Amino acid sequence: MAQVSGVQPVLQRSYRLMLMPAVIAVLVFAVLPLMGMFWLSFTGFDLVKGWDTGLTLENFTRLADDRRFIGSVWVMLALSGFGVVAQVTAGTLIAVGLEKIIPRWRHVRGIFVVPFVVPHVAVALIWLSLFTPTLSPINAFFDLFGITVPAFLTTRWGAISAIVIADTWASFPFVMLLILAALQGISTDLDEAASIDGASKMQVFWRITLPLLKPALLMVALFRFIETIKHFPLIYVMTNGGPGRATQATNYYAFIQTFQNSKVSYGAAIAVFLFIFAAIISFWVARMNSRLSDA
Amino acid sequence: MRKPKRKNAFSWKQAAGVTMMLVFLVFALLPIIWAFILALRPENRLFEPIWESPTALTLSNIPKLADSGFPKALFNSFVTASVSTALAVVIGVPGGFALAKGRSSRKFLASWALLLLRMAPPVGFVIPLFILYLKIGFLDTWWGLIGAYMVLTLPLVVWSSWTSLSQIPDELIEAALLDGATMGQTLRRVVIPAARPGLVATSVLAFLLSWNDFFFALIITRSDTVTAPVAIMNFVSYASVDWGSIAIASIVLTLPTVPVIVFANKYIVQSMGGAVKG
Amino acid sequence: MKFTIRARLATAAMATILTTVPAYAEDLNVILFGMPYTYGLAELEDDFEAATGLTANIEVVGQDVFENRITLSFTGKTGDIDVVHTPVIQVQRWVEAGWLHPVTDGVNGMDTKDDILAGPLDAYLVKGDYWALPFFAETGMMSYRKDVLANAGYDHAPTTWAELLEVAKAVNSDDVAAFAMRAAPGQGFNMFVFPMIMRAYGGKFFADYPNDLTPAINSPETLEALNLYIDLINNYGPPGAGNFNFSEVAAAMQAGKIAMFVDGTSIVAQSLDPEKSQVLEHMAIAAVPEGPAGRSPAIAVHGLGIPADAPDPEVSFKFIEWATSEETLAKIALAQPFPDFTRASVAANPEVIAKYESINPDFLNLRVEMLNDAIGHYRPLLPQWPQIGAAVGEHINAAVNGLESPEEALAAAEAEMAELLAE
Repeated sequence: MAQVSGVQPVLQRSYRLMLMPAVIAVLVFAVLPLMGMFWLSFTGFDLVKGWDTGLTLENFTRLADDRRFIGSVWVMLALSGFGVVAQVTAGTLIAVGLEKIIPRWRHVRGIFVVPFVVPHVAVALIWLSLFTPTLSPINAFFDLFGITVPAFLTTRWGAISAIVIADTWASFPFVMLLILAALQGISTDLDEAASIDGASKMQVFWRITLPLLKPALLMVALFRFIETIKHFPLIYVMTNGGPGRATQATNYYAFIQTFQNSKVSYGAAIAVFLFIFAAIISFWVARMNSRLSDA
Repeated sequence: MRKPKRKNAFSWKQAAGVTMMLVFLVFALLPIIWAFILALRPENRLFEPIWESPTALTLSNIPKLADSGFPKALFNSFVTASVSTALAVVIGVPGGFALAKGRSSRKFLASWALLLLRMAPPVGFVIPLFILYLKIGFLDTWWGLIGAYMVLTLPLVVWSSWTSLSQIPDELIEAALLDGATMGQTLRRVVIPAARPGLVATSVLAFLLSWNDFFFALIITRSDTVTAPVAIMNFVSYASVDWGSIAIASIVLTLPTVPVIVFANKYIVQSMGGAVKG
Repeated sequence: MKFTIRARLATAAMATILTTVPAYAEDLNVILFGMPYTYGLAELEDDFEAATGLTANIEVVGQDVFENRITLSFTGKTGDIDVVHTPVIQVQRWVEAGWLHPVTDGVNGMDTKDDILAGPLDAYLVKGDYWALPFFAETGMMSYRKDVLANAGYDHAPTTWAELLEVAKAVNSDDVAAFAMRAAPGQGFNMFVFPMIMRAYGGKFFADYPNDLTPAINSPETLEALNLYIDLINNYGPPGAGNFNFSEVAAAMQAGKIAMFVDGTSIVAQSLDPEKSQVLEHMAIAAVPEGPAGRSPAIAVHGLGIPADAPDPEVSFKFIEWATSEETLAKIALAQPFPDFTRASVAANPEVIAKYESINPDFLNLRVEMLNDAIGHYRPLLPQWPQIGAAVGEHINAAVNGLESPEEALAAAEAEMAELLAE
C-alpha cells in the first residue's frame, strides 16, 4: 500500500470524525438497550410481581438446572444446524445452476429472489397451511395418485423438518445472491483451462469452483447460522413449540418466559446466553474474515 | 479422458441439471402461487383443490383489505424503512469508509462488534428499549421505530460499505486530496460514485430488513405507527384466521419490493463479490 | 443543483415526520382483540357519541398482538388506554399485578345488573371486587354431519364420550374423518377443549379447588380421559390432527372433511355459516357428550375492564356500561355472528331469536343449556393459570403425538404444576 506521509495525520483525524456519527447511533440504539438487557438479567424483574433491583446471580444458576432451557438449546442447534446445511446447499446449487446450467434464463434470477421479501409471519402462515394435510394442495395433489403425504407437524423430526423447509424457502435467496456474487469473482479462465484439459463439468465444479467458493460458503453459513438462532415467527405460528416441546428453540423459550410467564429477568438471562453464544460465533466469523482477506 | 462436449449435443447431465433447476423453481414458486390462490378464493372454497373448482374466484378480499387499517400500516412501514435506510446510509457510509481507509489497530474489534450487534437476540433488548422509549416519549412514534431499525440497518451498511470501499485504490483518494478537495468532497465525488453498485445493493438489503421486521414493531408501536407485518397478524383473531386477507396482504406487501429487487439485482450481485471477499 | 433538490426533498420529508405527533383527539381509547363482538363494537363508535356525548377510538388488533403489547403497556403505566379487553382467564393475574381498576361501585349501581348472566359476571369477582363487565360467554358444543351419521345408522348425536367413540368407529372413512378437536399445545388451544373430556371422567386439576391447591392431574380418571382423547385424535381424526388448532378444525369442518367435532360455540357457529361452510345443509348441533362424572362444557368469558392507570375511570365505566348494554349487545348480535351475548334480555329479544333460529332452531336454547352445565372454574381461576395451562398443554400434546406416554405426560404435568405454584 502506498501512503503519502504528509496527508496521513490529517486523514486519520478526518477518518475518526467520519466514524463518530455511526458510533453514537450504535451506542444509543443498540449498546444502551444491550446494557439494559445485561442489567435486567442480574435483577429480578417479574411483570406481575414487580421489580427487585438488587443484583443477583439467581437467574443464571437457575438456567443451569432448567431442563426446558437445556432442551431448547438442543432444539436450537438442530434447527440451526439442519437449516444452515439446507439453505447453503439449496442456495449454492441454485446459484451455480443459474451461472452454469441455465445462464441464458436471466429473468429467472428475479423469481428466485421473491421468497426473500415475503414477511416471515406470512411465510409461517403459508407453510402452516401447506403442511396441514387437510388444507394443503400438495396433499390433495398426491391424493389424486393415491399417494399419502405424511403429516409433518405431529412428529418431533417432522416438525423440525417443516420449520427447516419453511426457513430454507425464505432464506435460500440470501445464500444464492452471495454465492452468485462470489462466482463472478472466480475467473472463467480456470474453468476453460480445465475443460480443455479434458475435465468434465462436474469435475471442474468439485475440484476448482467449490474450493474457490470455500471462503464465501463459510461466511454465508455463519451469517445464516447466527440468523437462525433468532428463529421466532416460524415456530410461534407453525407449531406453537410443539409437538410437546419439540420445537421450542432457545429464542422462543426466552420469549415464553418473558411475555407469557412475565419473567422478564429470566428471559433476559436466556437472551444473554444467546448473546454470548452469538459472540463466540461472530468472533469466529470476524477472525476468519480478516484472515481470509489477509490471505 | 473425454473429449470436450459439442455445444448442442443432448446430454443427460445437462437434462438432469435443468430438471434440478426446475424443481427448485417449483419449490420457490409454489408457496407464492398458493398465496395467490388463497387470496382469490371465496371463503367456502378456500382449501378445496383448485382443479376441482378452478373458476370459483373472488376479488372481495381486495376492498376488504383497503378498508382495514392495512393501507396506513403499509405507509408506516414504507416511511420507517426508507428513513432508517437513508439515515443508516448517511451515517454508516462515512463510518465504513473510515474503517476501510483509516489505520487502526482496533479494526478487528470493530468488525466483531458490528457483527455482534447484528446478532443480539431482539427478545433480550426489546424490553430495555421499551423502557427507554417510555422515558423519552418515543413509543408509538416514527422516530422510535426508525431508531430501532437503525440497530438492524446500520451494522449492515457499515459492514458492507467497509468491505466494498476498501477496494477503492488509495491513490484515487490521495490524488483528490492533493488536488485540494476536502474529505467530504472526496467522499461525495470520488468514493461514492466508484462504489455505487455496492451502496445501492446494501441500501436495498437494509430496506428489506426493516420492511420485514415484526418483533420491534410489535413491542414499540401502538395504533398510530403500526407496521404492515404486525397488521397482518391482526387478521389472526379469536377463534378464526382470515386466510384470504393474510394472503392478499402478504402479496401487497411483497409486490412493491419486486421491482426494487429486479432493478437492484445487478447491483446486488456486483457488490456481494466485494462483501464476501472482504 | 441536483444536490440541492435532493437536500430540499430530504428536509421536507424530515419536517413531515417531525410534525406528525400522535393524535389522541378522542375522549377514550379502547383496545380490544378481534372477534365478532369487537368488530361489531368498532362499527358503533357513532352510537356511543350519540348516547353519551363522548367520543371513543376503538382499536381492534389480533389476539397475539394484543397479548404481547398489553402487559408492557400495563407495566409501563403508559396511561393511554381507557378501556381494555379483559379475558376471565387473565383477570386473576392482572388483579394480582395491580393492573386493573375495580368496577364494583359501577356494577352495583346499575339498574340492570340482574339482567347480566350471573356466571360470567361472577367470574370477574376477585377478592371481593368486580374487575370487568362481561360481553361474551362462549361455551362448548358439538357439531356433526347428520348425513354421515345417518349412513352408519345413527339418527342422533352421541350423548356420551364412550358412545362418541363407538360412532367414530362406525363412521370413520378416508374421505371423512370421524372426529376432530383442537390438539395444538396452548392454554387457549388444547387446554380449552381437553378438560371437557377430563372433567367428564372425573379428572381435575387440583385436589379441591379453591381450598386445596395440591396438583391432582395425575389420576386414573384423567388418564382414562387422556387415552380417549388420544385414541379419538390419532385413530379417528384427519391426518395431521395432532397439530390442529381452532382454524384447522374449523377449515376441515367447513370443507366437510370431518363428521363430528366438539369445540367452543364460536367455532361451532362457523360450521353453520353459509358463507364459509360447504356442507351447511348436513350440519346439526348437539350437547357436549357426558362421561361417568357428568357433563362439563368448556367456558370462556370475555369482558371490558379499566386499566389501573386510566386517567378517568368514571368515563371509562360509562363506555363499558354502554358497550355491554342490552341495546348494544342486541345490535351486535344482529349485525355479526355473535350468539355469545351475556344478557338474558338479549336472549329474549324476538329479532335476535328469529335470526339465530333461522340458522339453527336449537342453537340458542342449547347454548343456555350448556352454559348452565358449565362450571366457572372449568379452567382454574388462578393468577398462575396462563403459565400452568401452557405447561400442562405441552405435555398433553406430547402424549397425543407419542413423544411421551400418557402416564409420563400426566406425571410430568403434575410435577410442573407443583413447581409453578411453589414459585
